[in-house]
Amino acid sequence: MKRYVYINDDNLAKDIYCDNRISNRKYTILNFLPKNLWEQFSRFMNQYFLLIACLQLWSLITPVNPASTWGPLILIFAVSSSKEAWDDYNRYLLDKKANEKEIWIVRQGIRKLIQAQDICIGNIVWLRENDEVPCDLLLLGTADPQGFCYVETAALDGETDLKTRSIPSACMGIDVDLLHKIKGVIECPSPNKDIRRFDANMRLFPPFLDNDIFPLTIKNTLLQSCYLRNTEWACGVAVYTGNQTKLGMCRGIAEPKLTAVDAMIDKLTGAVFVFQIVVVIVLGIAGNVFKDKQGRKLWYVQYPKEGPWYELLVIPLRFELLCSIMIPISIKVSLDLAKSLYAKFIDWDVEMVDPETGIRSNAANQAISEDLGQVEYILTDKTGTLTENKMIFKRCCISGRFYGNESGDALTDAQLLNAASTGSADVILFLKVMAICNTVIPVRSKSGTISYKALSQDEEALVCASARLRMVLENKNGNILDINFNASPMQYEVLDTLEFTSDRKRMSVVVRECQSGELFILSKGADETILPLTYSGQQVRTFAEAVEQYAQMGLRTLCLAWRKLEEDEYQEWTSMFKEANSTLVDRERRVAEVCQRLERDFEILGVAAIEDRLQEGVPETIEILRKAGINFWMLTGDKMSTAIQIALSCNFVSPEPKGQILIIDGKTEDEVCRSLDRVLLTTRITESESKQDVAFVVDGWALEIALKHYRKPFTELAILSRTAICCRVTPSQKAQLVELLKLCDYRTLAIGDGGNDVRMIQQADIGVGISGREGLQAARAADYSIGKFRFLKRLILVHGRYSYNRTAFLSQYSFYKSFLICFIQIFFSFISGVSGTSLFNTVSLMAYNVFYTSVPVLFSVLDKDLSERTVMQHPQILFDCQSGRLLNPSTFAGWFGRSLFHAIVVFVITIHSYAFEKSVMEEVAMVAVSGCIWLQAFVVALETNSFTIFQHLAIWGNLVGFYAINWIVSSIPTSGMYTIMFRLCEQPSYWITMILIVATGMCPVLALKYLRYTYRPSRINLLQQSERLGGPILSSGIIEPKSRSSLDKDIPTDSVYEPLLSESPSATRRSAGPTQRLDSVQSQSPPHSTHTRKDN
Amino acid sequence: MELLNHSRFTQQELPACKPILTPALVMATFIVIGITFIPIGLSHLSASENVVELVDQYDEVCIPADSPDPDVVYSKRIGYIQDETTDKTCIRTLIVPKKMKQPIFVYYQLDQFYQNHRRYVKSRNDEQYRDPSASAKTTNCEPEAQLSEGQPIVPCGLIAWSLFNDTYTLSRNDVALPINKKGIAWESDRTHKFGDNVYSKNFQNRSLIGGGKLIDNIPLNQQEDLLVWMRTAALPNFRKLYGRIETDLEVNEIIKVVIQNNYNTYSFNGKKKLVISTTTWIGGKNDFLGMVYIIVGGVCLLIALVFITVYLIKPRPLGDPSYLSWNKNPASVQ
Repeated sequence: MKRYVYINDDNLAKDIYCDNRISNRKYTILNFLPKNLWEQFSRFMNQYFLLIACLQLWSLITPVNPASTWGPLILIFAVSSSKEAWDDYNRYLLDKKANEKEIWIVRQGIRKLIQAQDICIGNIVWLRENDEVPCDLLLLGTADPQGFCYVETAALDGETDLKTRSIPSACMGIDVDLLHKIKGVIECPSPNKDIRRFDANMRLFPPFLDNDIFPLTIKNTLLQSCYLRNTEWACGVAVYTGNQTKLGMCRGIAEPKLTAVDAMIDKLTGAVFVFQIVVVIVLGIAGNVFKDKQGRKLWYVQYPKEGPWYELLVIPLRFELLCSIMIPISIKVSLDLAKSLYAKFIDWDVEMVDPETGIRSNAANQAISEDLGQVEYILTDKTGTLTENKMIFKRCCISGRFYGNESGDALTDAQLLNAASTGSADVILFLKVMAICNTVIPVRSKSGTISYKALSQDEEALVCASARLRMVLENKNGNILDINFNASPMQYEVLDTLEFTSDRKRMSVVVRECQSGELFILSKGADETILPLTYSGQQVRTFAEAVEQYAQMGLRTLCLAWRKLEEDEYQEWTSMFKEANSTLVDRERRVAEVCQRLERDFEILGVAAIEDRLQEGVPETIEILRKAGINFWMLTGDKMSTAIQIALSCNFVSPEPKGQILIIDGKTEDEVCRSLDRVLLTTRITESESKQDVAFVVDGWALEIALKHYRKPFTELAILSRTAICCRVTPSQKAQLVELLKLCDYRTLAIGDGGNDVRMIQQADIGVGISGREGLQAARAADYSIGKFRFLKRLILVHGRYSYNRTAFLSQYSFYKSFLICFIQIFFSFISGVSGTSLFNTVSLMAYNVFYTSVPVLFSVLDKDLSERTVMQHPQILFDCQSGRLLNPSTFAGWFGRSLFHAIVVFVITIHSYAFEKSVMEEVAMVAVSGCIWLQAFVVALETNSFTIFQHLAIWGNLVGFYAINWIVSSIPTSGMYTIMFRLCEQPSYWITMILIVATGMCPVLALKYLRYTYRPSRINLLQQSERLGGPILSSGIIEPKSRSSLDKDIPTDSVYEPLLSESPSATRRSAGPTQRLDSVQSQSPPHSTHTRKDN
Repeated sequence: MELLNHSRFTQQELPACKPILTPALVMATFIVIGITFIPIGLSHLSASENVVELVDQYDEVCIPADSPDPDVVYSKRIGYIQDETTDKTCIRTLIVPKKMKQPIFVYYQLDQFYQNHRRYVKSRNDEQYRDPSASAKTTNCEPEAQLSEGQPIVPCGLIAWSLFNDTYTLSRNDVALPINKKGIAWESDRTHKFGDNVYSKNFQNRSLIGGGKLIDNIPLNQQEDLLVWMRTAALPNFRKLYGRIETDLEVNEIIKVVIQNNYNTYSFNGKKKLVISTTTWIGGKNDFLGMVYIIVGGVCLLIALVFITVYLIKPRPLGDPSYLSWNKNPASVQ
């Protein structure tokens, strides 16, 4: 699909294409309510609550006032709707501001001021310096005579440096006044989201130029939301408008991520729902049977002889409503509140503020903090994430001579300085390539110092180094470069730039020396793409050795090369290059092919080695997180040897002999397959036999083949191996690897800093962005942004772990208290003729759910089971979170059992102590409610690990609040509860009953908890004990290999009753997932691999 | 912002007390519970023991029906109780087992009577009972809301309609023993729940007659039997206050009770009992709390004893790092 844009044609394009009104809104005023409600009701829980609320409107079956469900339901809906509405309104305001901005455009040859939303395709838009670009423009003219202008693209890709944009050659030299009348047609692709490509053509109509077709690239465009900088004015023709701009197409509402904890809660809710249905059916049948056998004899009830058709349904529906509180409406509110507080704690944490930049950590996604505590795989970028991304030119090898080997810094190497000043030809050529072969823009400040703006940190390092070595890049004026060497100026004209792509891995420039008119091609790039291109006869062995040697030190290497060009060779090539550049289809590949024709027969000048230092604290962080049982994968675009070197230096792999690195390589399918099988075999043996540390290394090419053809063995390897190093991988491969691990049901965290990590960050369960030097693109796409890699350990071990523990308690407790009151209602139905009477009144039920039981537990978000220091010292404790040991069906069963037990205690004691003459409905109900409140206060207290002042206030204050509220209600004459609470509180037997309920309910729980705590303590218990009894615990530094099956076996499966206590070791979350998968992979892959081997 | 940075709350560093379950703490808790619970239980039991209670189940003996066939008995009894013309007087004699000090309470007890039945417990309208101008408000009162002509029944609803109407007359040595029926209802019911100028209207005027009748020219709040009855019971077996005897009863005194056995518990095989009882600080006779207190106290002491024994036999230091699985010998993990 193509679109044709007619420049300056007011009549044509108006109707075909959309106007420039941008809209980020999700709703309009009309569709807000239906759309928003529809969205909210697509969740199971909301549908359930709505059903219950509707059933309650039928007064025949409702046990309580419908307000008890409608109230909270409407509140929840109102809160989340108004949040959505507010966000949408703010988006609307922003849109409006952008849409109504005044913009100069050309209409009928005259410049006019219109609102930005009225810009049409084909309009010519004029911009001044520091204006924001209102839509995607094709540049036609600028104030700069060379046709350049500078833009800041931070809003688009997060890169803060200035980028050069140039007008197409066709428009070069057109007079400013004539620009108003320019006519032509632009053939460009349909709107798409690729912000790096714009493969289009332009043809100007006479009288401007002949019928030549001119190629256009992204370099000729000004994209929406960029800012025009350092250029007085620029004008361009609108090619994409409104929501069809590159930015508009890139926008998309990220899919909400669901945490493992949420999924587990949903699953448990489903199970509770099934249980509830079963209870309702059983009680419904029992109720109808009782009615027929006994109920009709109860003359005082006056059952009619003939009931309506729905008579059989009445009792089951009553029980459905009575049991509806089993799924607590408060859980959603409590969890949302807790989650936003977890996110705030991350934002607030001063220990995660980057001391250099003052950047705070930020939780953009508030909903997934629990997942941080369950991370199993971390996929990390290397450059900028593990390293500082501050490139420093350290060593070089020029024509076989090594510089900087003694001092460790080539810039202080006297020999190199000497060679540079004396003008050794090789060195000068080397420095020239360093200074010229780049896309750096020198910016001269007012004081005269030159600073460099560069896209690539490597280029900046090279230009800065060459300047230090007296080859100074002084000015870039269009195509003309001013170089100053030893105070003698030189000028070069850049004819063509053969750009760097991640496939080519090299960049070249074709330059003409202005004085002599000689043509050169200067090139720099990765060794494997440059060294094979030498002219036959040059010895590259020394260079290869140098590359090897530098890579061993963890340095990034670049090979520098050059060649003289003949005039006619260049002329022939340049037309091909032009043609390739103007193709619309598959341009990148075509251009690469053409470039290859010129990039041959190079003379290698030398090797430059650039250091990228590890960030502070990286090795320690990785070691701690590996101890915590997290597997690390490094995904980098760098080359294998550098990657391995970095991996070794940051504790990715233990050094030999403990660590073992297995390399998967090969160029063809067969080679890769054989290599993969070999690695897999070794890994299997080492995994099963010893505690060796195995890592596999794979490069992008082999990975491509492995993922395409040998997915199964590769998946198995991915599961078996704790560590992987993937080098030379593309952004999409990074995302594919995340996908692979996610498919195996692992929780993945991707961390990166650059635009190339965005896809992986979005793909992973948790995306963490480092607000680093490569811009904010990654940080913006991420769920969490942190300033430095080392904060990751705090993010996971402290914030993630606490969040998981707290949510696990909060959610299960919410179910516990709902079950408690629900069971009492069920028991009561057996002594009320199975007729579906509610023991409790509306006020008590509502207040119980919303207030009495929600407030104390909300403060469990402040609970800390272990101190931060202990967790940092014993990161292994994270395993309990990873395996979901605090929230799973078995712990849930424990809470279920506890609520059943407590319901029995409350019910039996209440009906026996308030029997006979004391058996007044309202009093019995209040005694039972008080019993529940007392019990739940002690349950929360027993499960709280650390009491701050807030917890004390919430737990005990809530008890006081309970009495205060009931006294108030009891003093209203018209309320059904008038005087009840006062009467009860005067009776000694009321208080004796309360004490008995608490003692009977809590003593068994306490005894069991104590026994477990002392005689079969969990790891958390052990650490708590030693932490609080003083005395440091020594943890030997053995890294536990992740043999999950053995770890799971290690923990004994206990009796059924044990889950009364909150942790139960059995039944980890993953129990059914990867282990099964692993088995299936293991059982399937051997025949598979032998099969392929036979093929070979 | 500065404040946020240094707030102990935002940094999750609020001073906290972190108790752990040390053996001493747990054992002490159980011992304390045991030691305090047993005396409370004992005193509760003794208080219950001091209550003198006379219970007489009269539903079966006060009705003439003798037949080997339970179905025949059932229908005979129903025929008897529903017959308005027969004299249903029944005379019972009770012997006072112990000296009973006044005030002595007279209760009637009904068993298997579901005052808490869903259809029953909701069938009332408190507004009508309270407010004389709201006599037409009979919501929830179905099926005892209105007469067929549409006049509202006051008090409406099944509860009022099924008012208990057996009466007891007590005498001692042929001297009448007065039962004071004033002040048997809750004070708050008399003053707030039932109006002092609300009078019964159209009550028990439908073809189906439930229980007792009311006196139309006495305000509802002075007919305390109704008030007591309308405090619905939560359990199917319940006692309701009938009146008070304001003299002491001596040991072995013989009390003659003349019962008007009007109320139908025979259709649903319920029981009727007359209860004459004194009270103490725990109320009426109730051994349950005392027993459970003693049991819980005893069990707690037992648990404490077991814990101490286990602790002495197999002491286990808390927080021994050697129990941490990652500190164990790798071989033992496998």
